[in-house]
Amino acid sequence: MEFSYIFWSVIGWMVFWAVAGSYVTRRVYLRRDLDTSNAGFVGAMMGAAAGPFGLAPLWFKTPEIGKRLLVIPPLAAVGLIGIAFGLADPSNNCVSNGSFVASQIMNGLIIGIIYGFMALGLSLIFSILGVVSFAHGEFYMIGGMIVYFMTAVWFPGINPGIAILAACAITFALGAAFERLFLTPMYEGKIDRPVEYGILITFGLAFTLQYFVQAVAGANPFKARRFIDFPIIRLPSVEDPWLIKTSRGNMQLFDTVSISNPRFTAAVMCILVLLALLYFLHRTWTGKALRAVSQDREAAAIAGINPDRMNMLAFALGGMIAALAGAMLVQAFSWLPQVGAIPAMRSFVIVVLGGLGSLPGAFLGGIIVGLVEAAGTGCVPDTQRAASYIPAYGMIVLTLTLLLRPTGLFGRRFAGGAHGKF
Amino acid sequence: MKKQHMPQVGGALLIAFFMAFPFVYTANDYPYIMHLLITGFFYAILASSWSMLSGYAGQFSFGHMGFTGIGAYTTALFSHYFYLTPEPTNLCAEFAIGGMYLVVVDPIGVTSSTLVQDCLSQAMTIWDGSVEVTPMPVWLGIVLGTVMGGIFGLLIGLLVLPLRAAYLALFTLGFAEILRAVVSGEIAITRGQAGIELPYIFRDGITLFGRYYDKTDKLPSYFVMFFLLLLCLAILAWLAKSKFGLFVRALREDQDAAAALGVNTTRYKVMVFVITSMMAAAAGATFGHYVAIISPNNMMILQMSLVVAMAVVGGVENFVAAAIGAIIIEFALEMLRNSFEIGALTIDMTIWRLVVFGILLMLTLRFSRNGLIAPMIEYFTRGDVGKETVAKRVAGKGAEGPA
Repeated sequence: MEFSYIFWSVIGWMVFWAVAGSYVTRRVYLRRDLDTSNAGFVGAMMGAAAGPFGLAPLWFKTPEIGKRLLVIPPLAAVGLIGIAFGLADPSNNCVSNGSFVASQIMNGLIIGIIYGFMALGLSLIFSILGVVSFAHGEFYMIGGMIVYFMTAVWFPGINPGIAILAACAITFALGAAFERLFLTPMYEGKIDRPVEYGILITFGLAFTLQYFVQAVAGANPFKARRFIDFPIIRLPSVEDPWLIKTSRGNMQLFDTVSISNPRFTAAVMCILVLLALLYFLHRTWTGKALRAVSQDREAAAIAGINPDRMNMLAFALGGMIAALAGAMLVQAFSWLPQVGAIPAMRSFVIVVLGGLGSLPGAFLGGIIVGLVEAAGTGCVPDTQRAASYIPAYGMIVLTLTLLLRPTGLFGRRFAGGAHGKF
Repeated sequence: MKKQHMPQVGGALLIAFFMAFPFVYTANDYPYIMHLLITGFFYAILASSWSMLSGYAGQFSFGHMGFTGIGAYTTALFSHYFYLTPEPTNLCAEFAIGGMYLVVVDPIGVTSSTLVQDCLSQAMTIWDGSVEVTPMPVWLGIVLGTVMGGIFGLLIGLLVLPLRAAYLALFTLGFAEILRAVVSGEIAITRGQAGIELPYIFRDGITLFGRYYDKTDKLPSYFVMFFLLLLCLAILAWLAKSKFGLFVRALREDQDAAAALGVNTTRYKVMVFVITSMMAAAAGATFGHYVAIISPNNMMILQMSLVVAMAVVGGVENFVAAAIGAIIIEFALEMLRNSFEIGALTIDMTIWRLVVFGILLMLTLRFSRNGLIAPMIEYFTRGDVGKETVAKRVAGKGAEGPA
């Protein structure tokens, strides 16, 4: 009870001042004829972080909104929530147990990297085609399924690397074929509302793929073996391996943080592929063409790039990225035809948080969402309730982002706005 | 009879058919067919109201099942926790209202049903049958659920005002997911995944035209659902014909242009959200009372995809077509359940039917964007208008002919 009382009153205070700050700050900036695009966001964050003491100078001095104002208040607000939590529940694992916190953060980072990587595919598709692919989770699921079936059922003993490559190739082909067959009418102006069409048709694809896999593979969960074993390392010495200690399936750092093998390999693989992808996007002709189309379609076409070809490439590549994330994670989780739903939701959250169409935003957003989920699952006192709320944490982040800063962290454009008063 | 009148005649025939059906049909699978029809009507309400929201107004919401859940859970919690007694229990939270006491039962969750009794059960043990406890009327719960759906629709409508297209879809999806997480997380109140029980629509059965129907009989629920569908369709038809429908379609085509021409887009956006959410909530509450148990899974994304698919296959820009499509697809999906064998291969149709359905959805979207049923209706309503105009032009009378 003590916990609820302190914590919720702090949260209530923050929400009150955030709402007031968001509303009034925009009004104040509007009246002084200043740039209001970020005023609501800064007002809300300032209100949450410092209440009236932060808002008063903001309202009277109306400083120009620079990077510092955009970054410091949100961090302060998050810190304030953390302090309130610590004061309210000092005996909580998250407050008193340092090694628990460290391993939670590490876990959140690793899973965040993987989901950020997956969201990158979604972001790529959006930035080129302008479509949010609702079938992203299904590509993830199929990637894992192919790797499982190849390594465990069809060709037992095959090198998992080949299975992963096969999964990438198959999903790439699937994405390209789908794009050619179903998304092409979008570009020719044959459809009144292409964005809605894109949502519906990918939704249909998701539905079809999910039940197709369920019909073929059945609804029982699978678990793939881990791809590689860690070498046995004991550092700095065999007697006292406080720095790093590995077994075949696990790694322990500083005697406190333990990382399981599948997640570690998945995260490393994701980072490597991310680097390769960045090289591809920034250093090759095709990659540059992709980025050019995402910036300005017409101008790219004038410069001799075929935008339709880039559409196909982007959709196939985006699907392949999701499939690769699935192929790496099939060794970590048990795999079902429905397994794609939760990572797909996370990807949506991440791309909105990072800014739809922004690649670095997707990655940073992934890490933030990973950390938020780790905090949500590890710190909420009632564990059963915390488990039920896992899907909701990301969605709360999504809702807050859309309310406070719809462009996300690095978003470039945001079509929106309503006219008139209700 | 003119060709343009065909849809009206067809609609009247269809209504007459559904009115007569429960009395005429007498085969062995009567309860099963009736159940299919009731479920079909439920989905028809959802599909038609969703087509108003997304097909007419262009607000692509994936939160429609969430509103259904709000309606169902509101009436479930209302009938579960509120009772009327003539005497105070002195155990529960209670309020005196005109000689009666409104008793609010304390939530005890799922696990404690045998160990801990809620306060009303304790009081009833003490009274030992001497005091009659009246549960709340079902219709009041349904009305409350509808109102609650409207309130949430207003809230969501206001929140999504600045959002468009993809952002709107993601936000509403998020809303539905949060709602589901809350319902399955707050086990003490909603009983979580175990689901919460509801009384039947007619708690003690009902006597219609001198014949008594038990509470589990399908016929009364069938007519309740059917009339609710007709009511919703009538409201939607009236809205679509009126200024509202025109403005809302302008909103869909080009929000900025509509605003520039003087349409208060904010008001109409919010209004369409409120109206369609109320319909979804009413359908959810009624259906909840019909099946007598609801769980968070009723709000799942799968259900949402069914509604979307039904509306799309029927015709997303025509709510009547969406409703008919929903009923047909509900039937088709059930009929496809039978597994069959090709040689040694057994095809398990319970899953494959959904694959077929998904492919049908994609093909419909790709090749017939107005759905499969809407073009048929349009063929009859508009079919000859073009020809007549051409004929008039050819005859040289087009200009001065009656408009």
